[in-house]
Amino acid sequence: MQTMTLSQTCVIAILQAIAVVIFIFVVVPLTTFAERKVIGYVQDRLGTTRVAGGRTGLTGALNRGMWSLGKVPVFSILRGLPVFIGDIIKLLVKEDIIPDKADRAIFMVAPAVSMIASVVVFAAISFYPGALFTFPRFVPIVGGLPFAGFLTDMNVGLLFILGVASVGVYGIVLGAWASNSKFPLLGGLRSAAQIVSYEVPLTLSLMVPVVLAGSLNFNEMTRRVATGMPIWAVPLLFVGFFIYFTCGFAETNRVPFDMPEAENELVAGFHTEYSGMRFGFFYLAEYINMIVASALASAFFLGGPFLLPFGLQSFVPASTPIIGGPSIIWYLLKIFFLLFTFIWVRATIPRYRYDQIMAIAWKYLIPFTLVDLVLAAAIRFTMP
Amino acid sequence: MNKYLKTLIPVDIAKGLALTGKHFMRVFTTANRRKVPLHVVSEYPEVPATVQPRFRGRLTMLKDEQGEVKCVCCLACEKICPTQVITIESGKKEGRKTRLPLRYDFEMERCIFCEFCVESCGFDAIILNHQFELAAYNREDFSIGMLGRSQNMFELTPVGQFSHAIRPEAKKD
Repeated sequence: MQTMTLSQTCVIAILQAIAVVIFIFVVVPLTTFAERKVIGYVQDRLGTTRVAGGRTGLTGALNRGMWSLGKVPVFSILRGLPVFIGDIIKLLVKEDIIPDKADRAIFMVAPAVSMIASVVVFAAISFYPGALFTFPRFVPIVGGLPFAGFLTDMNVGLLFILGVASVGVYGIVLGAWASNSKFPLLGGLRSAAQIVSYEVPLTLSLMVPVVLAGSLNFNEMTRRVATGMPIWAVPLLFVGFFIYFTCGFAETNRVPFDMPEAENELVAGFHTEYSGMRFGFFYLAEYINMIVASALASAFFLGGPFLLPFGLQSFVPASTPIIGGPSIIWYLLKIFFLLFTFIWVRATIPRYRYDQIMAIAWKYLIPFTLVDLVLAAAIRFTMP
Repeated sequence: MNKYLKTLIPVDIAKGLALTGKHFMRVFTTANRRKVPLHVVSEYPEVPATVQPRFRGRLTMLKDEQGEVKCVCCLACEKICPTQVITIESGKKEGRKTRLPLRYDFEMERCIFCEFCVESCGFDAIILNHQFELAAYNREDFSIGMLGRSQNMFELTPVGQFSHAIRPEAKKD
């Protein structure tokens, strides 16, 4: 690889950052749309099939257009897709209300904290361990240089992710406190207790691939966990995946662990007093956290850009065509499947009681994860 | 120990996910491909909504094979109607043994859809059909008879005409 000048590095870094941000802000609205459709299908409904509005004007044209597209079987699933544009417009233009007795500064900062903490995590997530493509020669500054599938290649990438992701709870707690209202406050307190509890099994279950791979670098870990595992490590990674994913539900405040925004008890939980785009930030942060949890789970347990999950890729020679090498498509497919699972579980399992949630974390998940971790350490001891 | 194992291996959650997954795949794969849909809702204005067989909609008169109304003006329906919404003016026609209605007026505004008229009819000449789109803008549109366009009991209701017009099968005609 030729050495890059500073300006070339900056331009490529900015382009990569823009690509990642576009990825986030394309996937998040699509996930909200998928949520409507999937929950609809699970309940034998069709989900959203049209935009609100009459038969005339822009919405009418959209409705008629999507309806005529819907005759093709594939497009019939996408009918109602324009709704997500309406969602975004609604969030942007709704009136932004700040309560009189709220702590204005903290009230305004809290959604930003939540949002930033979830977006910054993508700095350390690697979508592909190498160059996605090389810029052609005629491109002005960066011609002939590779466009990597990751933003940074930190040697403590996982620590960075865990550290930044846990800042997100400050957004919730600060927003809840600054609202100066009892329902947000209760929601925020529950959220703090829940997230602090679930950080422990979450981090411990991520220690299993860390111990097995012997590295904290994202690319390094993904590669070693996927391709360099003995057969004994497969069940450990399998169990670790389910523990991590369960904790992921709690960390992202999704059903069945959506204690902070228990609708029937706490109005809307920590964002009761929020409206407009400030509420939108909390809303987006939840979905971005879902993407982060899915990305980490698929990278460290499901083999990341390699096809086979749970380290089974180690038994496929790297020279096999198509399934032997890494590909960004496998990684994105895994992320989308896990996002689908988030919605699928939401449509299936009712919310747990508060003491049950705490019991799951402290009485079951933590001991189980510790056993898993000790076994992983034993396997690491026998590995060359 | 058994209880502990049961908690650790979430069989019940797997069962629930399997059930919802089955329903998801069933509707997802057949949403717009089957003639008889597996989902329980219909995309109403574009796809006609189905109603139960016993549904009681708007009163209409049945016709025989020659296209003549079966009604013989016995006035049984007019007499039994609890809200007196039916008014019949009987008349004669060449070549027909029985009388036939010149006017058969039905004030849907006051109708309670009790179906007594249909039960009392000895000639199976009237039914309450399956039209449910009964809303209208004017009170006059609820006075339904044998003539006219929007008040004609043999035609679709005004809303029914609207939702029929936007259906794909209407464009073929």
